Amino acid sequence: MIKNCYIHIPFCKNICTYCDFCKMFYNQNMVFNYLNALEKEIQSTYQGEELETIYIGGGTPNCLNVEELERLFQILSILHKSSNMEFTVEGNIDYFTEEKLLLFKKNGVNRLSIGIESSNPETLKKLGRNLDISLTKEGIKKAREIGFSNINVDLIYAIDGECNHQLDEDISFLLSLSVEHISTYSLMIEDHTILKMQGEKNIDEDLDYSMYQTICKKLKENGYLHYEISNFSKKGYYSKHNLCYWNNQEYYGFGLGASSYLHDKRITNTRSYSKYIKGEFVKEIENVGISEKIEYQILLNLRKKEGISLEEFKRLYKKELISFYNYSSLLKEGLLVLENNYLFIPEDKWYISNEIIVRLLGCEVYG
Amino acid sequence: MKQENIRNFCIIAHIDHGKSTLADRILEYTGSIDKRELKNQMLDSMDLERERGITIKLNAVELLYHKDGEDYQFNLIDTPGHVDFSYEVSRSLAACEGAILVVDATQGVEAQTLANLYLALDNHLTIIPVINKIDLPSANPEKVIKELENIGFSANEIVLTSAKTGEGIISLLDKIIEVIPAPKGNEKAPLKALIFDSLFDSYKGVITSIRIMDGILRKGDIIRMMETGAKYDVVGLSINTPKEKSIDVLRAGEVGYLYASIKSISDVHVGDTITLDNNPCLEKLPGYQPMRPTVYCGIYPVDPSKFEDLREALNKLKLNDAALTFEAETSKALGFGFRCGFLGLLHMDVMEERVTREFGIELIATSPSVVYEVELTDHTKIIVDSPHKMPRREVISKILEPYVKCSIFSPSSYIGPLMELCQEKRGNFIGMDYLDTERVTIQYEMPLSEIVYDFFDRLKSCTKGYASFDYEIIGYKESNLVKMDILLNGEIVDALSVIVHKDFAYQRGRIVCEKLKEIIPRQLFEVPIQAAIYNHVIARETVKALRKDVLAKCYGGDITRKKKLLEKQKEGKKRMKKIGSVDIPQEAFLSVLSSKESS
Repeated sequence: MIKNCYIHIPFCKNICTYCDFCKMFYNQNMVFNYLNALEKEIQSTYQGEELETIYIGGGTPNCLNVEELERLFQILSILHKSSNMEFTVEGNIDYFTEEKLLLFKKNGVNRLSIGIESSNPETLKKLGRNLDISLTKEGIKKAREIGFSNINVDLIYAIDGECNHQLDEDISFLLSLSVEHISTYSLMIEDHTILKMQGEKNIDEDLDYSMYQTICKKLKENGYLHYEISNFSKKGYYSKHNLCYWNNQEYYGFGLGASSYLHDKRITNTRSYSKYIKGEFVKEIENVGISEKIEYQILLNLRKKEGISLEEFKRLYKKELISFYNYSSLLKEGLLVLENNYLFIPEDKWYISNEIIVRLLGCEVYG
Repeated sequence: MKQENIRNFCIIAHIDHGKSTLADRILEYTGSIDKRELKNQMLDSMDLERERGITIKLNAVELLYHKDGEDYQFNLIDTPGHVDFSYEVSRSLAACEGAILVVDATQGVEAQTLANLYLALDNHLTIIPVINKIDLPSANPEKVIKELENIGFSANEIVLTSAKTGEGIISLLDKIIEVIPAPKGNEKAPLKALIFDSLFDSYKGVITSIRIMDGILRKGDIIRMMETGAKYDVVGLSINTPKEKSIDVLRAGEVGYLYASIKSISDVHVGDTITLDNNPCLEKLPGYQPMRPTVYCGIYPVDPSKFEDLREALNKLKLNDAALTFEAETSKALGFGFRCGFLGLLHMDVMEERVTREFGIELIATSPSVVYEVELTDHTKIIVDSPHKMPRREVISKILEPYVKCSIFSPSSYIGPLMELCQEKRGNFIGMDYLDTERVTIQYEMPLSEIVYDFFDRLKSCTKGYASFDYEIIGYKESNLVKMDILLNGEIVDALSVIVHKDFAYQRGRIVCEKLKEIIPRQLFEVPIQAAIYNHVIARETVKALRKDVLAKCYGGDITRKKKLLEKQKEGKKRMKKIGSVDIPQEAFLSVLSSKESS
């Protein structure tokens, strides 16, 4: 039963230098055609399930104008929403105007995700984020007044030239916003991004590590739970939508470049606008057989603090995890911990979780 | 074909002077091949040869040429150009009466031009000097004619060609008839045929290339290999035109291929003489001096289960490359492999690549070593071709290493840096000659190990690629040498040990440690890298512990991408060798090879 849905709105009025996600400059005519195609995609795929999460991401979804947003919600009205659903819209603070906030509220949105990324004007400039960060506090206050009680903000750290002092300022700024959820990402310089073309370098690995430690420590001291590698939240405010990924659940993904996981297939949509509006939505389909499914289960579950529920694993795959992957040496080395029938990466080793996952997948039992 | 209308010849040249292209053009002009069919460098049948532009395995082709009402049979025997393959060059030379010496009109006489010329003269061949690539704007044939005159040719002997445009090819073909002597075998004498090459074909078994010196060989004859005594029925004879064509008989003076259902590779020795079992000749042909390998290295399959496959591959390669030697060896770090001996560095490179490419076996090669003679305190002498065979210091009285005489051809403007390089490489200056005002040849005596180490790269960079270089081994000399070990996480990695001159040990140790630091990825714990001589640490670096290995973000549910990244990481791990608890990439074993400073 599919309970989750991602909607991609690729339009931005400004392109960030680090962004390798599917995006394009805002253009009214293109938005119009895009929304029509999106409607077709949803209508042709959606099977009428009751959804527990919807996430509208981008791009910058809230840069659409009010009419366009109304059209979007009209398209989404065919989706069945459960009574306690989590409905998130992502965007930049300067587009969360009172008018749009009211519109979101009216259409059932109950969670906002705001890309702040940094509080330092120089850093924002480097990231190509052309916005006035001083509007943030005011904007969040307004959202609260309108009734949004679940707000996430993003932070990017480990940017070349950034020092510990700047990071401290960023964290203080985020804490001053008293939001329910914080996502932090260490800057990755991806191919085909402006930063990469400008020859941006990664910062020293050791400095990156110490920044990560600082963030974890400060956010914890201030009452945030570190429930997943890069996500922190106040109690009861985990992102249900993100957890669906980490729990290896199936989900719809609609829009340009979106990914979905439906009926044992992982589907990646085209990133080509012209193909998409012609109705050629899908670019790639990966069939997820049982062994792939197990691999996904492991690598995704291990992102979470609680790790893999061995009981659930056995229920899903009929055999114990250890009969597929013999993880005993990893337990001995302290890279994995087994407690209350959950297998997880201890928090102080999260920073090397890839290495641990790769090692675990290397312990495959043949036969 | 009557013997006086046969011409057996080869083409010799410095690398890249256009030997293979010239061969192609001869094929085209004798009508042996259609222009349409002509792949570049038709004679080079291995992919590797075509890619590298060097001829590795020789190849014989029979061409028909018509002139003044007479039919002529040309047997063109291809030879490799590089110094490492001089053994094979001399093999092909023994099957010929003449040689075409190709010199690039833009480059002039180079080191291997001379080395190959001397080899040909040693074999009493008639030489036709050819200046090729005269179509190039930068060609300077007048200058090259002067250079050729300086080494003993007269201007009227020289043919000017462009293998690219075809200019001069007809004159060359006419010159071949005019100058190169016909073979002088006796058809009535007992069969005497030279095996000058062999190769293994998975359908036909062993195929040998032969030149009939005396007598006649027919399909169905029973032959005997004079050195090994093995007997075979001749199943088939053929020639290469350059398409294969079956024939029934090969006569004195002719060149062809012989099939005899030879299954055992060890029965065929290149250089051996074939005769008839029922009417043998009295004495063997002189054959060849077997070449002794000068460079050794350890070769290990990345996948340990491929050890037997690797043995089979080496056996097959040895079949037509008698100079290759190998024996099984074990390394604590790398498992089971082979210690292989090669004629030189290029020979080593080519062999490693052939194993990988033709047999699909991925290899780890250890740093190459020369062959040392070690005199022990008990006055016995041992041969050491691998660092880990070096005895303990206490029992060594002295170590001798091979020296070479090397000749470097270069524009005279690079004399300064060249001499500096040679001094640095422990060279002793012998002499210097000017070919003309701008080109000079310098001779040095130098330890072979210095050449094996990084001489080629350094030579290239200090002369911007304009120098050429050739060497021959002249003997052994005592040197102050030590074995340097590399320790990872406190453990000696045998495959990384090298023998170095004591004066260079510190510098070399430092460079190797720095390189390894760069190549070895961060691990879960800190890994010290040390270079040590007799347990005394001379250099140290540290690979810091892994600090960041996490995919922070995962936008919009693009989980497939995350998995792909992890799979890539997993593949990368598989390609590494686990030594103790440290994962080492394959390149690490080559790092001790290169002196390039880490950047």
